Amino acid sequence: MRPDAGRVLNGVAVALMTKVAPEVRTPFGQQLAGLSAVLLRVVATEFDRIADRLSVENGAVGAILSDAAAVLPDASLAVRAREAADAATAPDLRVSTLQAINDRLRAILVEVHAAIEETPGEEARAMEERIWEELRESTRRRHVEARI
Amino acid sequence: MEERIAAYLASRMAGAEDVRVSHLYRIPGGASRETWMFKATWREGGERRAHEFILRRDPPASLLESNREVEFAYYTAFADSKVPVPGMRWIEHDASHLDGTFFIMDRIAEIESNTRRIQESAWDEARPKIARHMYEILAEIHAFEWRGSGLEAVSEAPAPETCWKRELELWEAVIDANELSPQPIARAAIRWLRRNPPPPPARVTVVHGDYRVGNILYHREGRIRAVVDWEMAHLGDPIEDLAWGFMKDWEWARDGRKGGIIDEAEAVAVYERASGHPVDRDALRWWSVFSNVKAQGIWLTGTKSFQEGRTDELILPMVSYTLINAEDEALLESLGRAG
Repeated sequence: MRPDAGRVLNGVAVALMTKVAPEVRTPFGQQLAGLSAVLLRVVATEFDRIADRLSVENGAVGAILSDAAAVLPDASLAVRAREAADAATAPDLRVSTLQAINDRLRAILVEVHAAIEETPGEEARAMEERIWEELRESTRRRHVEARI
Repeated sequence: MEERIAAYLASRMAGAEDVRVSHLYRIPGGASRETWMFKATWREGGERRAHEFILRRDPPASLLESNREVEFAYYTAFADSKVPVPGMRWIEHDASHLDGTFFIMDRIAEIESNTRRIQESAWDEARPKIARHMYEILAEIHAFEWRGSGLEAVSEAPAPETCWKRELELWEAVIDANELSPQPIARAAIRWLRRNPPPPPARVTVVHGDYRVGNILYHREGRIRAVVDWEMAHLGDPIEDLAWGFMKDWEWARDGRKGGIIDEAEAVAVYERASGHPVDRDALRWWSVFSNVKAQGIWLTGTKSFQEGRTDELILPMVSYTLINAEDEALLESLGRAG
């Protein structure tokens, strides 16, 4: 659909800032109009990138879980990590589908991370570093410039 | 709403007749409780009188599920102490008066609380004085003799060696209850906090719980006229307050100064001099990581409140979209994992 959602949301944000906010009489109302505009811009950015972010992240976390299974001393956790990794590819590209897979993968990642921390050996240390690198990358994927 | 407030005041002010409320405005901010200011006038003893008040009303849901009675008790305890606080007037548990429970306190005139205004050049002379005063007041908060005060009725005192554990368990439970998506960085931080407990404090003190620029009412003369937002106040390790105020979240000037007004080393020096207690750097590190976990618990609570439709306050999704990831970034940094 054109104009695309990002353009529409940014247009509404501009209208709020330039047309609505100056007409609002109270500081609270002006702040609310400004906040709404910034929020729309943030949502516009997220709207454009979220499917790609989730898809990329699901692949990355799935690969980690698959490899971590070989290092985990807990056999049942290893099985669950492999199963989650095998289900990392989404059957469709709806954001809700991608998000549900992301939530499942990151829930297992929390467990795997905790187990790896307690596992001795170089392989476990290397896996721990790989998990931390993914966590760093996850914040880069979600980074937004706007601040409150 | 003006008429309903006037009716409430009339029922609480003995001898007041013809109570009127005007100049009612909601104040920006106050994400956990709505904050309104208003002017009341009334006739008493044949004279017309006037006073300005602040009303803090509980919303249906917010960033924080806190106990207004505890907050009211802390404000009341510090009345007429060396810690400036607004005068408390009434607390109301019956939500029918104003569609929510609330309390009313005195409005303090000619003050600012804005986190950005204090960065402006017009405040260059006052800012360093306010910054020093802020940490002198914090020393006074921590010197407050809570034993024998009304605070014992609303706050349980932990043993020094359990201060950290109690707070960590509290905020871990908040994250458990409110995360809509898994939080692998916060969970790793919680494991780190359990593996590396801080040394016990030399004393258990009042902890404000949200002591930062934004919750101080400052005046151009370079003094702080009031400390507000006591809703997370409790008894515990005083270093918790220092660490909370030092969080990157509040570096409003984005130049490393804490609260946008003071370097950490100077703040610690002022506090140590005023309190007579050295700041244990290992404890400060632990409480710094903890502060990021606690903040994440607050942001996640607001996110869930909005997602579930219990509130339409737009500050909450803004917090979700910006601060949750920023908190993760800050956690990576405080854990030495920023890369």
